Amino acid sequence: MDTAISLNKVTHTYQANTPFAQNAIDNVTLQISKGSFTTIIGHTGSGKSTLVQHINALLKPTEGHLEVLGRVIDPNTTNKNLKAFRKHVGMVFQFPEKQLFEETVLKDIMFGPKNYGVNDGEAKKSAFNAMELVGLDKALADKSPFDLSGGQMRRVAIAGVLAMNPEILILDEPTAGLDPRGHQEIMDLARYLNKNKQMTIVLITHQMDDVIDYATNVIVMDKGKVVKVGSPAQVFSDPKWVYGMQLDLPSSAEFAQQLKKAGVNIGQLPLTIDALADRIVRLVGKGDTK
Amino acid sequence: MSNFIFGRYLPGHSWIHQMSPQSKLLLSFYFVIIIFFANNLISYGILSILILIVILLSGISIMYFLKGIRPLIWLIIFTVLLQILFSSGGRVLWHFGPFSVTNESLINGGFIFMRFLLIIMISTVLTLTTTPLAIADGVQTILKPLKKVKFPVDTLALMLSIALRFVPTLMDEMETIMNAQRARGVDFGSGSLKHRVKAAVPLLVPLFTGAINHAENLSTAMEARGFSDSEHRTKYRQYRWQVKDTISWLFFLAIGAVVIFIRK
Repeated sequence: MDTAISLNKVTHTYQANTPFAQNAIDNVTLQISKGSFTTIIGHTGSGKSTLVQHINALLKPTEGHLEVLGRVIDPNTTNKNLKAFRKHVGMVFQFPEKQLFEETVLKDIMFGPKNYGVNDGEAKKSAFNAMELVGLDKALADKSPFDLSGGQMRRVAIAGVLAMNPEILILDEPTAGLDPRGHQEIMDLARYLNKNKQMTIVLITHQMDDVIDYATNVIVMDKGKVVKVGSPAQVFSDPKWVYGMQLDLPSSAEFAQQLKKAGVNIGQLPLTIDALADRIVRLVGKGDTK
Repeated sequence: MSNFIFGRYLPGHSWIHQMSPQSKLLLSFYFVIIIFFANNLISYGILSILILIVILLSGISIMYFLKGIRPLIWLIIFTVLLQILFSSGGRVLWHFGPFSVTNESLINGGFIFMRFLLIIMISTVLTLTTTPLAIADGVQTILKPLKKVKFPVDTLALMLSIALRFVPTLMDEMETIMNAQRARGVDFGSGSLKHRVKAAVPLLVPLFTGAINHAENLSTAMEARGFSDSEHRTKYRQYRWQVKDTISWLFFLAIGAVVIFIRK
């Protein structure tokens, strides 16, 4: 698979040369391939958000360089001509509904494409497409975004990013504060975009179940460094290490751990609910719970 | 923006940090008055040495300090230039249309430059060594006598401390919103004036909505905890006048006397 994003010894220091200076990310080297669904996990303050902001050149490395879709970003990259590049990297921030400002939902969603020079008709078309993707009723198009519910506002904001038809979509905890159903729908949307639109997805999350259910690759960060890269199964294979990173196991593995403690011989840790169910059925069927 | 230190607090345990906020506030105010009394080279020299001693005592690195106030220097230079070009009196050295430079305006310009610089330096030392909350507290202590005439001192102090407390929050929020809009193709800080004003709308609308939301949430939270402004409130942190304050004041008063004495 081709590489979409590659970081080479990227370091970012906030407020360099002041008493406040601190390395948010430290000497990070990694590759993210095209069409992958990559999740970045790590406890609060481990540098996940700083890392992904580099992919969109919102932050530039203090040292090292990165290459995104063939474009190099290094400490000397100027702010000029970044616009053309940013078009290809959509970014959904934490609580993206904060970015809404237009009079109507439609106008807000059209804002991105129009900034990138798409004409009104085209922008409208991609806006309606995006609304359909995120499951917003067309009747809402002429409403003020500030009259909508929190969940709907979130969808409008995400639609505003999708309307630009990015090749890479970065999602920074896109489901924080949503109800379980809203959570599921947004995660399913990410999978749909990944599978059917060949979008490269980079997702920051604290939900280990999402990592198991949706991701193909996992990057684990701690104190600004990348400490592990691999498939979800590889990353969660060592529960002790996972807890040491102040992370959790997926709930099925957690459940299996509890069974193990109670003396049930569950074998290898099941990572999905299905695997756990299979394992239990087999055990019960055989009748050897001890 | 990150180099800009005006209005920021640097934690520490220096002499200046330990002084009580009300005394620091009044002392800065007093220093500003003294600056306006100074009108010759020696007095400005004395005041400059005084401020250097203060910076050294605060434990802040001079390089960091100078770098931090550099953005403001341009503002001062601009003001001083206007002053030099438009003031009259004294021997004319150069003139062009309405502009003229005289020997007196040059000297005055130099003094104005020094005045601005000293004022900015003392107020930067004040904010660098005093937390916003302590400043609000100091204001409250200073204004206390106004309570006699039914001036709502406590409410004012509360408003001030709330406002100061939300500065960093709103700054963070602004940063996030700017990034979000940048990712949607907005180009801040480039293009024509009209373009720039237009680019401010997607920033200001969310920022104001956010600020109003914060205010609403905060007032709900305060009411839920039974806040009322008629209550007599005690304080968790008490800032008392200390020996350090007295010594600093004596020193500053002496310098003030010298400056007034050598006034021409």
